[in-house]
Amino acid sequence: MSYDMIALLMFSSMLLLLMTGQRMFGIIGFVSVVFAIWLWGDRGGYDLAFSQTIKLMNWFPLLTLPMFIFMGYVLSESRLADDLYRMFHVWFGPVPGGLAIGTIFLMVLISAMNGLSVAGMAIGATIALPELLRRNYDKRMVTGVIQAGSSLGILIPPSVVLVLYAMIARQPVGKLWLAGVVPGLMMAGMFIFYIWLRCRLNPALGPALAPEERAQVSRAEKLRLLNAGLLPLGIFLVMMVPFVAGYTRLVESSVIGALAAFGVAVIKGRMTWTVFETATRMTLAISCMFMWIILAALAFGAVFDGLRAVDALRQLFLDDIGLGPWGVLILMQLSYLIMGTFLDDTAMLVIVAPLYVPLVGALGFDLIWYGVLYTITCQIAYMTPPFGYNLFLMRAMAPPEVTLLDIYRSIVPFVGVMLLALVVVMIFPQIALWLPETLYR
Amino acid sequence: MPGFLVAFVRVVEQFNYRVGRLAMFALFALMGVLLFGALSRAFWVPQIWTDEMGQFLMVGYFMIGGAYALQMGSAVRMDVFYGSWSPRTKAMIDVITIFCLLFYLGVLLWGGIESTQYALEYGERRRGIWRPYMAPIKIVMCIGIVMMILQCTAILIRDIGRLRGVEIPGPTGKRVV
Repeated sequence: MSYDMIALLMFSSMLLLLMTGQRMFGIIGFVSVVFAIWLWGDRGGYDLAFSQTIKLMNWFPLLTLPMFIFMGYVLSESRLADDLYRMFHVWFGPVPGGLAIGTIFLMVLISAMNGLSVAGMAIGATIALPELLRRNYDKRMVTGVIQAGSSLGILIPPSVVLVLYAMIARQPVGKLWLAGVVPGLMMAGMFIFYIWLRCRLNPALGPALAPEERAQVSRAEKLRLLNAGLLPLGIFLVMMVPFVAGYTRLVESSVIGALAAFGVAVIKGRMTWTVFETATRMTLAISCMFMWIILAALAFGAVFDGLRAVDALRQLFLDDIGLGPWGVLILMQLSYLIMGTFLDDTAMLVIVAPLYVPLVGALGFDLIWYGVLYTITCQIAYMTPPFGYNLFLMRAMAPPEVTLLDIYRSIVPFVGVMLLALVVVMIFPQIALWLPETLYR
Repeated sequence: MPGFLVAFVRVVEQFNYRVGRLAMFALFALMGVLLFGALSRAFWVPQIWTDEMGQFLMVGYFMIGGAYALQMGSAVRMDVFYGSWSPRTKAMIDVITIFCLLFYLGVLLWGGIESTQYALEYGERRRGIWRPYMAPIKIVMCIGIVMMILQCTAILIRDIGRLRGVEIPGPTGKRVV
């Protein structure tokens, strides 16, 4: 059997087995070891799986993963963001659609303090959503706002997705993070513009706060609430300044960030035993989930490497179909988007990336830039029905009056905005590359 | 269900739960080691052992904690179809497909034992300045994999029980997914 056929067989048997709903890491690992033993037997076939643990151990930036997960859970479980929400509420309330715009700002700040979108989702759905609904904001718009906003968590640094991408693409994490800053802020800006436009055309979607309600909040109270904004700024600064200045490395900065979030929670008296226990337990659960799946995916990637599947794929695209590099790139993003609608985002991350990323490199594209494209595509995949991770989270956390259909419909315009952002970053790579190139010189 | 199988599930899950609860706090040891490394580099003498110690702790954290995480049901599944099946159908399919997991973990253990033997026999050390012995961390990994295998076996027994209408309670008394 030719190597191409084996690679195809391997990929399809994995997809088929994944459909049974067994734990993904087991299926990916199973397919990898079966093929490894079949192909290479006792010439390194059977210890291929275990040698990936050593590879995983040697990847130092991976230590940031549990730190950022812990940080996210401390933030959401201790409800540190409540004051932050109040601040945006009071300051943006008078503008039509202002609370929704404020929620996007809130999400940007939360994204700057943690690396996953879950914390943003949790805070958005439990704090912002009930408030927005109570003030007669259109429920479809606000669920979309929270989902789109929280997805910024994986684009704006620190980002766990980019750490994993860095491992696969063998690129420096710091550079990738910096590359995510401008596109992330740009996307937030586009969301805000969209909300503003919608609410201007149809004020019923996002009514401004009534004057009498505004009058209840004194000027002093308003200024006091600004203090809340210092919290994320402070956490972000203690984490990033020593890193950018070169005193700490990435991993150490992530520890500082985690401890800073923890410290703030203690000082504010929000660090109860329940919060602490939940955050620690969930960090173990999520870290293990990631680690075991990466372990299996590394084995899968190693077998694929041995089969030279990437070469075959390049040959297929360039010679057999006759596409140019850009044609291939666009086709890849499209296939990502389609896969994202039915594959779990973790699956996309670990299965498809080892296949596509080397191809992108071989085509001569910048892997830092592609990291940003990849992350934006992941963001979209997070939210697209029928099987977006965020959709289910939202369903689990949102109040009962928000139906699944509402959630499905709510994301349509925001996915449109995100696609636009994807195209813009594709056409103008400098949006992503300007900051890392300036700072890394 | 035969009593010894139920007892097996209880013992295994209780053990994995206890050990996993301990491993969970290794996160703070990890933080401490890394922070100490950063501080000593900034203010005193740079330490040569902190980075590698951090990496060892990390691997131990998710290897030893893995079984507990599995108990908590944190492993992702592709629930395109799975999500809409009845608990009975889920158990039925899982009873078969769990052997994929067991096979993978078995091969992982095989490689692990081989690698550990090598490390013990030749006194394998890690490259670098500190040059720690590799055997201890490899032994920890093997123990973690064995715990995973035991946990998967317990899950298999529980699913068989479900098919026969018996629900074996988890270590915290809650229903295990």
